[in-house]
Amino acid sequence: MFFIPGFVIAIVTFPGVIVHEAAHLFFCRWFKLSVYDVCFFRVGNPSGYVLHEKTENFTAMFFVSLGPFFVNTLLCVLFCTGAFLPVWELKVEDPVAYFFYWLGLSIGMHAFPSTGDLSNLWELAPGRAKRGNLLAIVSLPLIGILVILNFARVVWADLGYGIAVGVLGPIALFRALARG
Amino acid sequence: MRLGECNTCGMKSHIRSFYQMDGKTYCEPCVWARAREAKARGESGEYVALSDHTICARCGLDNGTTDLQLVGNLPMCPACGGLVQSFPYPHWLKMAMLGLMLLLVAALIYDRKYFHAGREMYVGERLIEQHKYAEAIPFLQQTVDVAPNSDKAVLLLAKAALLAGRPAIADKALHGHDGGHFETSDEFTEVQGMWNRAVKAFDEADAAGKLALQEGKAAEAARMIHEAAAEYPEAGGLAVAAEAYDAGAAFERKDYDSFARIAEQRWRAAPDAETASMLASALACKYAMTSDPSYRQRSEEMLAKARDLSKGDAAAEKSFEEYSERILYRLNSKQIIDKGEYDRRFRGGKVETK
Repeated sequence: MFFIPGFVIAIVTFPGVIVHEAAHLFFCRWFKLSVYDVCFFRVGNPSGYVLHEKTENFTAMFFVSLGPFFVNTLLCVLFCTGAFLPVWELKVEDPVAYFFYWLGLSIGMHAFPSTGDLSNLWELAPGRAKRGNLLAIVSLPLIGILVILNFARVVWADLGYGIAVGVLGPIALFRALARG
Repeated sequence: MRLGECNTCGMKSHIRSFYQMDGKTYCEPCVWARAREAKARGESGEYVALSDHTICARCGLDNGTTDLQLVGNLPMCPACGGLVQSFPYPHWLKMAMLGLMLLLVAALIYDRKYFHAGREMYVGERLIEQHKYAEAIPFLQQTVDVAPNSDKAVLLLAKAALLAGRPAIADKALHGHDGGHFETSDEFTEVQGMWNRAVKAFDEADAAGKLALQEGKAAEAARMIHEAAAEYPEAGGLAVAAEAYDAGAAFERKDYDSFARIAEQRWRAAPDAETASMLASALACKYAMTSDPSYRQRSEEMLAKARDLSKGDAAAEKSFEEYSERILYRLNSKQIIDKGEYDRRFRGGKVETK
């Protein structure tokens, strides 16, 4: 295991940071929450942020907090799918494919919600779950897993997630297509 | 801008620099002191910062003494209020996303040959899993044509070809891949084992072929070719060759009934010039031994069929010429001699290899 400063990782994988913050912004706008400030990328900690209005609407908070997780994962699969076959399976030297693989993995690496995102959600989730909110009930284990994965970033869990999504996603997709 | 006054020290300043505790207003040093005292008494000692709703929380605009509209619990001037309620996507972000999507579409169109090749590979892999090896070959061949350096595609093609008994395809694929070099993997080890088995079988078949050309070695050649066929049963050609060698061994030990039976089986299984000639030869042997004219008649019929079937194939025609001469001699003289003896007697000792 080796240590690379976070800002270096953020610079190398900057598209993922931008997509993550853009997804936050998208869901804030979707649920009509006020957004006070947005930083799509900077060299610092955090490498991007969205300052938005707090809300008691659990659905809105769920998607604002975890939206980037779903959006980044989806885009990671999409971009990696364009590159997976040439790079991974066919061993074809195709620069465009390598570019998309870098892009897909960068986006996949930044799928995890930040501790702040998870804290915001955790403030509301248990109470709403007790009241029978289905989304809140489902979100409880998901939040737990994401908290653990967030801590596991020190052992490159974010890169591992990007690779897993960028490889296993296209494999599943192409195998499904081959059966069709 | 609103002003406030500390309830303890009487300091006057902007309201945003004051705090509220138990309904009273304090400056920062005084609220700390009150909070410590409250905690010492066992109370919570909590306090909150006072906000000035006449100042825009985003741009700091001073609206005098009139409160600004609250947007998401924060006072905002009209300009900032409109902005935060519908925070715009930056132009560069929209352009970058649009550019990326266009690039992705272009790449997907450009890479469609890879998608096709990949799909063929997965179809081929599935057919291998279903033990449909021969059916898998054309699918995997298309993949290897596009991606000859893909370990997975080449190993799958080689596996399918070897298990379908077509080692020449496996040979071409394996040696067309990075000079025959592969990363060590379970798949490679599996295919290497199959390849070695096939090579050993064909080496034995080659040795059997050389033995078969020597007089008195037909039985040993038949044993060797049977070993080769058992080593690599997927190669149907070896089993067919073993039958032919059995026929040669039967001829050598003068067991013409077995020779005729095997020749008849081969003719029925694969009617071509070679099997027709072999059956004609066996029937000629039976005629030479029994003088039964029905054997002669059928032998001549088979020779005619062999002639017809060899037409258009130079090698088959040449082989027929050599073979038919000896069979006709056998029918006319009722003498059964092998090719070596025939060559010595009538071809000046010149021995042609079959």
